Amino acid sequence: MNEAKRSGVGSKIILILTLAFFYLPILYIVIFSFNDSRSLTKFGGFSLRWYEKMFADSTMMEAVGYTVAIALLATVISTIVGTVTAIGLTKSRRILTAFVERVNDLPVMNPDIVTAISLLMFFSVLAVRKGFLTMLLAHIMFCVPYVMLSVTPKLRSLDPNLIEAAMDLGATPMQALTRVIVPQIRPGIVSGALIAFTMSFDDFVISYFATGNGVNNISILVYTMSKRVNPSINALSTIVILLITLALGIVNLVPILREKSGAPSGAERGVLKRRRLVLASVAGILTLAIVVGVASGSGSVRRRQQAAIEKYGSAVLKLYLPGEYLGENVISNFEKEFGVSVIVENFDSNEMMYTKLQAGDAYDVLVPSDYMIERLIAGNYLQPIDHSLVPNLNNLADAVVGLDYDVDGKWSVPYFWGSVGLVYNHENVDPAVIKEKGWDILHDTDYAGRVYVYDSERDSFMMAFKALGYSMNTDDPAQIEAAYEWLRQMNNTMSPIYVTDEVIDSMINGYQDIAVVYSGDATVILDENEDMSFLMPDEGTNIWCDAMVIPKNAENPKLAHEFINYMLTYEAAFDNSETVGYASPNAEVLEEMSTQEDLYAENEAYLPRSGYERDEMFHDNVTLQRELSKYWIRVKAES
Amino acid sequence: MKQFRSMTYPYVAWISVMIVVPMLLIVLYAFTESGNDVLTFRFTLDNFARFVTDRVFLAVLWRSLCIALITTVICVLLGYPIAYVIAQLPGRGNTIMILLITMPTWVNMLVRTYAWMGILQDEGVLNGLLSVFGIGPVPMIHTSFAVILGMVYNFIPFMILQIHTSLDKMDKNLLNAAADLGADGLHTFLRVTLPLSLPGVISGITLVFLPAVSSFFIPKLLGGGQYVLVGNVIESQFLTSGDWNFGSAISLIMAVIIMLSMYLTRKADVSVASAGKE
Repeated sequence: MNEAKRSGVGSKIILILTLAFFYLPILYIVIFSFNDSRSLTKFGGFSLRWYEKMFADSTMMEAVGYTVAIALLATVISTIVGTVTAIGLTKSRRILTAFVERVNDLPVMNPDIVTAISLLMFFSVLAVRKGFLTMLLAHIMFCVPYVMLSVTPKLRSLDPNLIEAAMDLGATPMQALTRVIVPQIRPGIVSGALIAFTMSFDDFVISYFATGNGVNNISILVYTMSKRVNPSINALSTIVILLITLALGIVNLVPILREKSGAPSGAERGVLKRRRLVLASVAGILTLAIVVGVASGSGSVRRRQQAAIEKYGSAVLKLYLPGEYLGENVISNFEKEFGVSVIVENFDSNEMMYTKLQAGDAYDVLVPSDYMIERLIAGNYLQPIDHSLVPNLNNLADAVVGLDYDVDGKWSVPYFWGSVGLVYNHENVDPAVIKEKGWDILHDTDYAGRVYVYDSERDSFMMAFKALGYSMNTDDPAQIEAAYEWLRQMNNTMSPIYVTDEVIDSMINGYQDIAVVYSGDATVILDENEDMSFLMPDEGTNIWCDAMVIPKNAENPKLAHEFINYMLTYEAAFDNSETVGYASPNAEVLEEMSTQEDLYAENEAYLPRSGYERDEMFHDNVTLQRELSKYWIRVKAES
Repeated sequence: MKQFRSMTYPYVAWISVMIVVPMLLIVLYAFTESGNDVLTFRFTLDNFARFVTDRVFLAVLWRSLCIALITTVICVLLGYPIAYVIAQLPGRGNTIMILLITMPTWVNMLVRTYAWMGILQDEGVLNGLLSVFGIGPVPMIHTSFAVILGMVYNFIPFMILQIHTSLDKMDKNLLNAAADLGADGLHTFLRVTLPLSLPGVISGITLVFLPAVSSFFIPKLLGGGQYVLVGNVIESQFLTSGDWNFGSAISLIMAVIIMLSMYLTRKADVSVASAGKE
């Protein structure tokens, strides 16, 4: 008796610890969704601003709808298909079972990116229009194996004679299936469905490459938002948790109520049954509403867009640009002024964008970087800009006119420009010392263990080349070898932490003293943490420019020109630059931002150098990039 | 039984189209040279040679397998008792616990990992807690501890679900019979419960180990980028250096190695299970 009691206490402790472990991060997320400061890790007071921002953002609400709709559909379909197939396989020939099991392992095992690329190529060969359906198909594809992995063990522990017995007793195969097998393996089916739902709900990479035409899920938004540590992702997650808890609460409460009311009479049971039916239909209607709502929403907009259709041929503009790269009201103002609707899609890197273009995806305006524009021109992906349709080209600042990658502006119109530099905490790092050492501060062991280095072969080799006095476009093997040695020494003596976008949050919080950062991200860091300063080393750095281009396969080139022209207006350029923190291509805005005190006059990260002879732009060189990527993996992995 | 057999045909057709054909495109990339001209395929084994002859890549693959293995072992060791305790709970508590454990996985993985980054900082919650006892700050973020913790956190729900499934609805008569025959608790567990739950453990291992080998977000964020794993290498081949051929080759090599190890695991499972039946 005593022992049983003790084991009861033991189980309770295990359960409590388990829940604490699972819910600590969740609690953290909920608390930080009310954070006033723009940080995911440091609390700066209570505020609802991220909720306001989230509800104001229609794309976010739309994404929640798509995510739930796809997750529900994918779960239901893959649970049925997976269960039926798993049962069938128990009676199939060995070789078929083995084939299905091996193939099922593929999506579970392959890195998402491999599955994603294979599907991207597959859909592109079939030339299907990507969107809701392709994303749903992809999700069903990777969900079924999880269901089967959950159902199969339960089937194997089933007595094989059970079905025979049922059928001997006169059951049809269908009855044997639904009355005998399914109840026996129900726990497996339930856990399979749960896992399928999780996988679908949480998937980013495969969804990203399988979707298109503005159909986004929560994960895609979260990944693009994390570019700029946007705490709305915490608010969004909190809402999701709340919705799920509510839904599960209702589903679970009904049977409890039934138990509480004691042994129900026949009539009561009928009521409860009806209640269940009502619940199920409510859930069904909700799903339908989401799908229909999304579809009809665009329909009503379409009616208002007649004028635009007459003028441009179509009232929809498809824009593809880096995440968190737009002013707060730029898109809504453009939509209002021209009576059109804009579908915005985001990419994480130029290469990600290039991958989608290669697969034939069509956009009206892209915003790639300088070197990628070179590649797109060379690969014949672009159409020339008709300068007569873009009168605002006159507004361009001198610093962004006539840049190397497109000297006479035939193919591209600048969007943002910036530099790469060092953000440092001037309380802990002597400004005179870091100015004198430049990039070599990353070799100064006084700061070992306190530096963030950007995890990118291009930017890292740029620092090394510049520190050694070479051109950052060099392909001289001896110089590459020397730069590799420089980076290796940095890696082995400084124990740097390799980061990407999370560097913004970490430097705002002052976790480390020195970080390699893009100028616009540095602007944000300096804005939030006054101990931080920014330096463009004297040895030279990368000055880059992202520009708007129109692809050959654009469906609405006229509206694309209109959009490009609009982005060069004072209002749009101002909103863009103020929100994002990168230098504006608009001369007037650039002047104002960098001279007015309430803007960025005192933020040394805002204005990039121009005309400094040691600064360079990247040129496209695929073989060199592959070579550097190999060396970069070696630097990080060899230690 | 013919009716049952034919139930598999639609799915076999489906995976042939949706998984096998797209995978063949990856195989094609792995065995060809890169070039801008898509129409001419030049077959080569260079992509594989590059991987096999470079000890850095082999080290990366080895490290990925080790981390995945450690994660899997911890998930089994922690997940089994948790699943066992949950399975002992009376009906409704059982369901609610399983839902409570699954629910955190519906919050985006990136968001959860960011939360762990905050928790594990030197100024974070955990170190704050330790400092109450006069310990610390213990460096946790950017260590192997952080990486393993993040991986276990992310994957253990699948292990618990699978083991729980196999323990749930287990024939209680078997346990009673064992007790009647004089087996004590431990014996009953070792001889009856454990062998019966083994299929669940194996499928839990599949669900943890396979994705863990190629995971890269968690090691990247919590490990501070020093933990270069094979997932990172493959991802960077596709998304930064644009070398699809090499990326495809690496993922094929990884697939073959994992398939082999899974094959052996399942074989072990079958022989243990059949030994148990005898």
